Amino acid sequence: MSKTLHKRSDFIKRSMLSALVFLKDATLSEEYANRKGFLQSLDPRIKTISLLAFLVTMISLKSAVLIGTLYGFCLILAFSSSIPIRHFLGRTLFFIPFFSLCIVLPTLFSTVTPGDPVCSFNVLGINGTLTRPGIDGALLFVVRIATSVSLVVLLSLTTRHSELLKVLRIFGIPYIFVLTVSMCYRYLYIFATMVENIFTAVKSRVGVVSHHRHGQNVVAWNIANTWNRTTQMSEEVYMAMLSRGYTGEPRLLSQFYATPKDWVWLLSSLIICAGLFYSGHIL
Amino acid sequence: MSNIIFELKDVHYSYMGKFPALCGIDMTIRSGEKIAVIGANGTGKSTLLQLLDGLIFPDQGNMTAFGERLLEHSHDDEKAAHRFRKRVGLVFQNADIQLFCPSVREDIAFGPLQLGVAEKEVKRRILEIAQVLDIQHLLDRVPHQLSIGEKRRVAIASVLAIDPDVYLFDEPTAGLDPLTVRHIIDFIVTANQRGKTIITATHDLHIIGEIADTVYVFGRNKRIVSGGSSESVLNDNPLLELNNLIHIHRHQHDGQEHVHKHLPLEEH
Ligand SMILES: Nc1ncnc2c1ncn2[C@@H]1O[C@H](COP(=O)(O)OP(=O)(O)OP(=O)(O)O)[C@@H](O)[C@H]1O
Ligand SMILES: [Mg+2]
Repeated sequence: MSKTLHKRSDFIKRSMLSALVFLKDATLSEEYANRKGFLQSLDPRIKTISLLAFLVTMISLKSAVLIGTLYGFCLILAFSSSIPIRHFLGRTLFFIPFFSLCIVLPTLFSTVTPGDPVCSFNVLGINGTLTRPGIDGALLFVVRIATSVSLVVLLSLTTRHSELLKVLRIFGIPYIFVLTVSMCYRYLYIFATMVENIFTAVKSRVGVVSHHRHGQNVVAWNIANTWNRTTQMSEEVYMAMLSRGYTGEPRLLSQFYATPKDWVWLLSSLIICAGLFYSGHIL
Repeated sequence: MSNIIFELKDVHYSYMGKFPALCGIDMTIRSGEKIAVIGANGTGKSTLLQLLDGLIFPDQGNMTAFGERLLEHSHDDEKAAHRFRKRVGLVFQNADIQLFCPSVREDIAFGPLQLGVAEKEVKRRILEIAQVLDIQHLLDRVPHQLSIGEKRRVAIASVLAIDPDVYLFDEPTAGLDPLTVRHIIDFIVTANQRGKTIITATHDLHIIGEIADTVYVFGRNKRIVSGGSSESVLNDNPLLELNNLIHIHRHQHDGQEHVHKHLPLEEH
């Protein structure tokens, strides 16, 4: 067995595991939603409505400066909700606008968007001319995407999945859907832990899985095993629900309370929206 | 008028028709009794509790609960199901299974809400129970991220919220620290004094004296090998030894070999 192969399979295994742990911690553990901060303290319904209002206002705006202001406001919100700015920027600024840049890149040029030339260049015999409307349009597009992504990320980072799902109730989504999906989240977490534990257990019993064929078998066996456990678990959970009186129509606690603080926040966000709208469309 | 709650006559149960778990159980449980079911791993204790909770049904034999025969379709009617669920509550061996809601608060609320208790009353119960079990600080936590002992207390809270007449506990003290064990024993004893019927499955012989008046020993043949008052069973060493509930311990004192029996968790 060559050493490099061993190293490589070990690397794959390690990165698989760390991906799993990352997934578990980042998306399922709801770390930021459990922190204390401004957005976390709001009633999820009010929070969703206000962020939606910002989103709608933003879409109606055509000035990159105004949208940029809103983006700055998002950063303030992130900061006051104990989300580290670096993490927040990582989630919003870099990836998605990067892709959108790829989409808008062609519109920068005179061939696609005619207008005042800003600068011209010649690469490998291809003439390109950047136009002012082209640059403005692209800038607007990127700021727009960054801001809308920020608003959505703010909502999803500071709200528990289960609460977010419950907010769907406002739009008439049935309880059974809410319960099922929130249970899925919960058991995804348990399965992630289970797979992690199985890996550790296998490793402690057979040592390092050095032969990658053997490694594949272990993975295949694990998938079968996890599947078996999953089906058994779902039966048991169903029993646990039956045992506490479930008869097919779940009833859940409605535990949202809007406090005066929520109403003040809702009012101020509507005023901000109106202000932005006014300066964008009437001034 | 008899006060018999459960009556089992020659009850058999096997999983998927292949794996026998109970082979001819006879048992009578009366209102207000404290009962322990002990036995080695895999002797059918959990299966018995699920049977008593109306989650599975005998393959053979006869079982009545509250004077009515318990059959596969007894709970198809929502009213009948709710009537039964209000009277019997099971604390599962695996708290991860039992707690399926997104927050502790909702898990405690789940039972009473399904059973039609008004939301205001449910909220009152949550606060009261949280205080009794000392889990106020956990109410807004996610159940699956708690420690085993915390999960166990939340699981008990979720059943306590239903306020059933009969409590079924499956290994309530396994893997818990002494203080938490103490709390759970106290809880069981108080509930019994308030008239609740308690049936506990356990390996922990230490707690039996307190949590049970009557003890049934399950053997490897998946039947009851002995039953009686807790003192008589606890003093029957050959019986306990034969059923893997105590082990013989050999060690040396001052160069002299010394043999004694002791309970699994007793200090050597
Ligand atoms: N889901 C299942 N499928 C198949 N067989 C099962 C299942 N659950 C339990 N059994 C079998 O039924 C028998 C009794 O199991 P049970 O869980 O009731 O034992 P127990 O006394 O509770 O054990 P423990 O002390 O380990 O909790 C065992 O032989 C077990 O292998
Ligand atoms: Mg068991």
